[in-house]
Amino acid sequence: MALLELKNMTKRFGGLTAVDHLNLKVEQNQIYGIIGPNGAGKTTAFNCITGIHPPEEGAVLWQGKEITGAPPHKVAAMGIVRTFQTIRLFTEMSVAENVMSGRHFQSNQRWWHGICHTPASRRDEKENWLKVKEALEFFKIDHLAAEPVGSLAYGIQRKVEMARALVSEPKLLILDEPAAGLNDSETMELVETIYSIRNQGVTILLIEHNMDLVMTLTDYITVINFGKPIAEGIPDAIQSDPMVIEAYLGSEDDDDE
Amino acid sequence: MKKSPNKKIGYTVFILAMLLFPALANPKWLAIGSTFLIFSVVGLSEDIILGKGGMFNMGHALFFGIGAYTAAIANHTFGIPILYAIPLAILIPALCGIILAGPIIHLRGDYLLVATIGFNIVFLQLVENDIFGITGGPNGIFGLDTPTFLGFDLASPTAIYYLGVAVLLLTFYVMANLDKSKAGRALHYLRLDDLAANSIGINTRGYKIFAFGLGAGIAGLAGVLLAIQYSAVSPEAFNFMQSVLFFSIVLVGGSSLPGILMGTFVMFVLPEIFRDFATWRYFIFGFAMILAMILRPEGIFPARFGKIPDYFKKG
Repeated sequence: MALLELKNMTKRFGGLTAVDHLNLKVEQNQIYGIIGPNGAGKTTAFNCITGIHPPEEGAVLWQGKEITGAPPHKVAAMGIVRTFQTIRLFTEMSVAENVMSGRHFQSNQRWWHGICHTPASRRDEKENWLKVKEALEFFKIDHLAAEPVGSLAYGIQRKVEMARALVSEPKLLILDEPAAGLNDSETMELVETIYSIRNQGVTILLIEHNMDLVMTLTDYITVINFGKPIAEGIPDAIQSDPMVIEAYLGSEDDDDE
Repeated sequence: MKKSPNKKIGYTVFILAMLLFPALANPKWLAIGSTFLIFSVVGLSEDIILGKGGMFNMGHALFFGIGAYTAAIANHTFGIPILYAIPLAILIPALCGIILAGPIIHLRGDYLLVATIGFNIVFLQLVENDIFGITGGPNGIFGLDTPTFLGFDLASPTAIYYLGVAVLLLTFYVMANLDKSKAGRALHYLRLDDLAANSIGINTRGYKIFAFGLGAGIAGLAGVLLAIQYSAVSPEAFNFMQSVLFFSIVLVGGSSLPGILMGTFVMFVLPEIFRDFATWRYFIFGFAMILAMILRPEGIFPARFGKIPDYFKKG
């Protein structure tokens, strides 16, 4: 059974079909890539999976169970956690506080602990902060823990966003263009980070424009264009697929970002 | 999470000043002091909704009023001693907050603001028209029993003042606790980025309703104090202008304990000092709003972040 399966998933905005009968299967512990030209519907597909824009047709299956249309916080609590193409952090808050948000649904605190703590909820609070500390050490940003996140460099903010997603202990980590805006050395570091996340048993689904990165990183790729899947396979097969070359690789100049 | 030494000294001085104030004040100032305490509590409760949750609640006098009227009706119509009515006067506003927030919570900014003004007006119309014959109409309810506790009569202005101090300290405790909890952080997250908060697993709708319930409950408690202070409740104490006052306390002061206290001082105590200028006394009120928004758009003492526990640094 696939970890995540999309069956004929379709999303329309008015007359525009952003995602058109998309089928794919992400297997346990894979690094799965979705590529396609700008406006092909990749981010919309992610939004459908994570419940931000429920699809009109088709189904999203998580570990064999249908979760189509579940709200984002429930999807996250099932173990599907994402990052955003345009980084979305809580800019006024510190790095540690930002990452702490990822511990939200792992924490055992209930709403009434916001009014009055108990010894158990204080312990829970401490345990979660220590998890955050661990994650900051993993991303080598623990020295920035108290810094307001809005004042930090772009590459660091990307790390904070990944740390936030990772502390929630997801089963599937969805990365929307994780290398966007990163320089070469940061991109190299990202590759290693993604591998080590996978080695912790996390499955990864990513969109990426950097073709070299996708080809080295992923185990399996689906190419979409105008919301429709046009090809799927291992990176080597995709690189030599004439349909793909025509739709995407052939016009590399256009999406050189 | 240790407070900085300055902050600790600040709170100690403030609490001592609050405790010693009745020894120095004449009756007029003691009454102003009590009202300052009550309005500070309401300001703090509005801060949970507006400052932390970022929801434009322009009808907060509604919950303050429901609390006051619950206590007054319990005492006047049903003969319950007014202090025993306190649990009801917390629960009923809290429930109203939860029920009213449900259908409007998805509204954004200005739309939510208009809806909450609407609730405030509906409430005022109900009490002014003496709904069920128990609200006393435009005159309100007067002649409430004085509070007694374990045989002690708490009718003196000093006793009422200290009751206010106790409630303010209790509110401080709840606010400090909220700050260090998952629920409190969830409010900050959803204010700063609702979608990101929702995507990381926070039930943003649920926590917004929680904020309304908690804020309304605390405002209701403050309402009981107001009813006790005047032995009466009347509709004009809970009108739109009062809601504007509570809204402005948070905006002018800033979303923090010192901010709310400062906001209450500027918006409420300063006009009292200038009372001799009669009709001009709200001059400073309006002026403070304009100046604060130009000079300190985040309020005089804005919320501070970067609070991380000590064991985080040491390892």
